[in-house]
Formats: sequence, structure tokens, C-alpha cells
Amino acid sequence: MKAFIRTGCALLALACLATTAVAHHSTAMFDMQHTVTIKGTVTQFDWTNPHTFIYMEVPNAQGVQEKWGIEGMSPNYLNRNGWTRHTLKPGDKIEMSIHALKDGRKGGFCASVTFPDGKVMYNLPHRA
Amino acid sequence: MRVAMGILLLSLAASGTAAAADAPHAAAAKSSPQGDTWASIAKLPDWSGVWDFDYSAGAPGGGLVRPAPPHLTPEYAAKYAAYKERQKHGEEQQTSTANCVPPGMPQIMAQPYPVEFLFTPGKVTVAIEAYSQMRRIFTDGRKHPDDPDPTFQGNSIGHWEGDTLVVDTVGFIPTSTIAPGVGHSDQMRITERIRKISDDVMEIKQTIVDPKVLTEPYTSVKHYKRHKDWEIEEYICSQNNHDSADPEGRAGFKIQE
Repeated sequence: MKAFIRTGCALLALACLATTAVAHHSTAMFDMQHTVTIKGTVTQFDWTNPHTFIYMEVPNAQGVQEKWGIEGMSPNYLNRNGWTRHTLKPGDKIEMSIHALKDGRKGGFCASVTFPDGKVMYNLPHRA
Repeated sequence: MRVAMGILLLSLAASGTAAAADAPHAAAAKSSPQGDTWASIAKLPDWSGVWDFDYSAGAPGGGLVRPAPPHLTPEYAAKYAAYKERQKHGEEQQTSTANCVPPGMPQIMAQPYPVEFLFTPGKVTVAIEAYSQMRRIFTDGRKHPDDPDPTFQGNSIGHWEGDTLVVDTVGFIPTSTIAPGVGHSDQMRITERIRKISDDVMEIKQTIVDPKVLTEPYTSVKHYKRHKDWEIEEYICSQNNHDSADPEGRAGFKIQE
């Protein structure tokens, strides 16, 4: 399985909007200009402040499972935008579009989640 | 007015008719009559519901419009230049909010989370969702203390000019900032004019003066949209923070729980 699919340059507008919306910290550690897609299995979903946090097992290019930690918007923001603490649960198979950590570790900030039925849930503010 | 009326009903239920009977005397004795009694609160504008900072494109201070930087005195212009230089070396990427220290005034009023205005006699309380903060604006005619202890929110005195709440705030912690990389002195003073410009849009015009830091008043206008069906929610930043910064403000990110 191909672990990464580079999806190209995110709109500058989205990056700026995201910077505005993520108040608690700057997005300096994430590559806000690009997203990558990771595909794997949810192992834990923390519905907590200041950010939600999603742990996933993601197979690398050799098929070895690697643990990823992905930050998301706060529960306060997300529950006003269609998410609940049950939106993700351990065992869920998902694809996630993320702004990856610049330092190369296996982490990032969640932009959106795509479920097996094709349904997309946006995490960062999104303009259609 | 739903919030205020709810409080009013609770008050009447608790104290019978005594509070209502005393109200005219209390109102006459105060220098700032609007909102000084339960009866006069009913005449204040309807600010019920919660108000979310409108950061959409087109709103003042929202979208992609970066606020114009303040005009700085030479001393603070040099400090700002040094701050920008440190940013080039990976420092000052974060502020203390990354370590869950609330920003204090004025930044606490520019968060992407809603606020709620609560009216009780002689006081407007602002419940701020970000960092679960609270501001107390005294409207009972009192003056600022002569030498207020520095606090995150400062010491706020307000009065009503018609349907506009005018708030004067002094006495801030030394570490709060006017804008990124721009600190303040003990002479900072913040004036806010808070009013509805339509039924569901609140305007807050904020003017900061600080003769040691700013060569002219620094004014911003922000809009907040009303959400009648929202509530202020809990926000305990230290619950699960993965983003702590080091003392120089270098960004961190903890992957494992």
C-alpha cells in the first residue's frame, strides 16, 4: 500500500485561515502549504482541549505498521461543525489529509478525514 | 435579554418583591444608572446568546486581512526588530499560550472562540470560552484603584452611552502583548466601545494607548456574530496539550500520549 499521496499545494487562503483559527499555538511546526494523505487504522481519539488528538497505525512502504499522532481542532470548534466524540473510534479504517510535521516525525495536523463510504469530514476550516 | 431576564426571574423568586421595591432608590443614588438595578437591566440592549469572532473574509479584522502593525516608539521598534531577528533563528515561533498561559488583554478579545455578556446590577461579566477566562467590567460608578495589581484582564470600568458599553481598562501583567512581538508598559490603557450594529452583529472598537510604546493610538474594529443556540463551553488548555514551546518560543510537538 502506498502510504503517502502528495495532494499538492493547499490554497494559500486556507493556510492563512487555518493560522487564524488555530489560536492556541502557531502552525510553525507543520507544513501548512501542502497536505499529504495517510491511510490506516484509528487506535485512539482524544476529545480534549486544547486540541483533539488522533492516534493511527499506518503501514509504511514495506508494510510495517507505524504509529502516527495527529492533532485536530478543539472539541469546541468541531462540535459546532458536525463532529462528535464518536466521529472516530478505535478500529476505524480511514484516510486522513494532514499537514505533516516539518521535522519528519510521524505527526501532523488533520485537514480532513475520508471514510470508506467516501464521506469526507473537514477538520480545519474549509471553503468549498 | 433572555439571559438577563432569567437572572431577573431567579432574583425575584429568591427575594420576593423586596428587590423590585428597592430598585428606584438604588437607581437614583448611582452615578451610572443603566444596569445598576435588576429593573434597569431590563432596559439594556439584548446581548443574549453567545458571540463568535467573525474571522470570515470581509469582516473587519477577519479573513485574510492582517491588522496594520502599530506605530512604535524607537525603543519598542528596536525591540520588535530584535524579535523578528530571533524568529529567523527559530525562536519566538510560539507565545506562552502554547504552554497554556492565557494571553490576557487585549489578545484575549481576539480569539477564534465565542464570548458571552452577562448583566448583573453594576457589572457586566464577559465569559470567554478561550482558556475559560472571565472579565469583570464594573458599571456601578466606581473608579479604578489608585495602584491596581497587574492582572491578565486588567481592571475594567464601564459605563453605558445609550446602547454602547464603553470600557476603560488599566493594570496589565507585564508579559501581555499589543500585537505579536510588541509588548507594553505600565502606562497601557485600553478603551473598548461595544455595541450591536445589527441584531446579530456586535462591533467592538478597541483603542490602545501607551506613550512609552506607541506613537499614536492603535485602533482595531472586530465583528462578532450572534449564535443564540450556542453555549460557552469548557476549555481547559492543560487537559491534553501536545504543543508546549521552550523558553525561547521554539515550537514543540509531542506525538505520544
